[in-house]
Amino acid sequence: MTGFLGKTGSIRRSQLLFLLGVFIPLISLFILIRVIPIAATLGISFTNMHLLRPVTRFVGITNFVRLLSNEPFIFAFFNSLQYVGVAVPLEIGLGLVFALMLSRKVKFESFYETLYFIPYILPMVPAAIIWKWFYSPGSFGLANYMLESMGFSRLPWMTDPQLSLLATIGIHVWKNLGYFVIIFVVGLKNIPDELRDASSVDGANVWQTIRHIDLPLMKPIILFGMVMATVWSWSAFTEVYIMTQGTDISTGAEIQVLIYRVYQEAFNYHNMGRGAAISFVVFLVSLGIILVLFKVFKWGKE
Amino acid sequence: MGKGMKIRWKVKQTKGTRIVLHLALIITSIIMVMPFIWVVFTSFKPKTEIISPTPTIFPHTWTLSNYLRLPETAPFHLFFFNSVFISGISTLAIIIGCPMAGYIFAKYRFKGQTFLFFLIMATILVPLQVYMIPLYLIIASFGWINTYQGMIFPLIVMSSGIFFLRQNILAIPDELISAARIDGCSEYGIFWKIIFPLSFSATAAIAIVNWVFTWSMVFIWYLVVASSAKLFTVELGLMYFQRHFITDYGGTMAACVITFVPVLIVFIIFRRRIIQGVSLTGMKY
Repeated sequence: MTGFLGKTGSIRRSQLLFLLGVFIPLISLFILIRVIPIAATLGISFTNMHLLRPVTRFVGITNFVRLLSNEPFIFAFFNSLQYVGVAVPLEIGLGLVFALMLSRKVKFESFYETLYFIPYILPMVPAAIIWKWFYSPGSFGLANYMLESMGFSRLPWMTDPQLSLLATIGIHVWKNLGYFVIIFVVGLKNIPDELRDASSVDGANVWQTIRHIDLPLMKPIILFGMVMATVWSWSAFTEVYIMTQGTDISTGAEIQVLIYRVYQEAFNYHNMGRGAAISFVVFLVSLGIILVLFKVFKWGKE
Repeated sequence: MGKGMKIRWKVKQTKGTRIVLHLALIITSIIMVMPFIWVVFTSFKPKTEIISPTPTIFPHTWTLSNYLRLPETAPFHLFFFNSVFISGISTLAIIIGCPMAGYIFAKYRFKGQTFLFFLIMATILVPLQVYMIPLYLIIASFGWINTYQGMIFPLIVMSSGIFFLRQNILAIPDELISAARIDGCSEYGIFWKIIFPLSFSATAAIAIVNWVFTWSMVFIWYLVVASSAKLFTVELGLMYFQRHFITDYGGTMAACVITFVPVLIVFIIFRRRIIQGVSLTGMKY
């Protein structure tokens, strides 16, 4: 068996059988439902594939060119950019603030941690429905009720496109914040207390300790958090879907994001080629943002 | 690390800062769970109270009618079964598949291994909604649209779970495995008698995370694949319910509660493991 090298010498027959019997099927499955679909997204985006059209033709970059002048796409693209621009700083910033508070050796730490985490773990659909109610314009809308009882005027949460986008991003941030709190708490706990002690002996106050000890040592986890936050907000769907859903008696908010465009093109209009083109843009841009994040963090390493 | 050090660091906080800290923590954590608390209480209110112009958190009169009315309007028991079934099968596959793949990546050396491992890692960063079109076409070519198989199939591998298990199995000493080999133990024997039991705590963590994930976070896939109501998961059922019975506020509230309470119970029971699993895997496929 050339090429196969076991840790303690060459691979045994039984190991080879195990590889063939277990690993090959597992990996093939993985390739079938992860790798091939990701690669095929690009392939399909170069075709005019339509579920109701019997023949699929190669159309080159037509789908991509069309996107450049397609208003719903452009609207969705900038909405998604806003999603990332608002959600990522809020999630990372608030996540760090809460995690730093929790890491100050407070009592009931795990209790607070649990409460922060609950929105993340619970399903999005009921959560988004509850928020939709909160924002709703009727007598039922608690958001406006609270504004009014504090002496402010009512806001058009569901009808103003910009405001409803921000309201939806609010749901996204609230829902995912707990995840970032948890990973940052884990990261802060891995920093030895001796370092903080040493800096406070040197006369540093809390802020200086955070700035010079906690944050620099947290850099890799912050980078990881930013990558996750970017990927999730860039490909947000469920909360947008629920917010835009009309009901028998009312219409939903008029907002768009990229994955929602993919969903509509592919599964409402059966236009797989166009949907795949948008998917590929989603994939490419998130890859770009991740690479930039890595560059920025490496560059900031001194 | 001396115990005295810890205590000294702790007393550095003055009473004032501690109170401010706790106040901030209490207020923010209550805001985080407030929507759920509110919906639970509202689901026990009679209709007149729900649409009252001066809402209160607690019901004046408690009623179960919102819950009792549900089975007449939508088969939530069926949606419930579907969710349990789909999450259950997916989790079973994860429990067996992840440690096996993790074992091979941790303890075998062969050509192309690093590349394959890198491939698995890379897919963690691509959420399912980005490649759902080809996935849908693959499922369609099997004739599995609108079936349980179709809903479950993309959820039976978990990239981050493989990564997590590999890290865990790396810590199992090689001597244990070579000793078993010398004793004539087969690879399957080694897996089931050594690797699986020794890494079970990690497997349990990702299994629970996967269960919660398939219940709570793959809505878009179910939405795309399942179109007949008898396949609906609780989330899909809830979505259609609120769309068509929008004026039944109490009923929708009760349905919301039914959708998230199972996850809440699982979370309360397995809190430590879930937090550990999520913080280490990132909880995405």
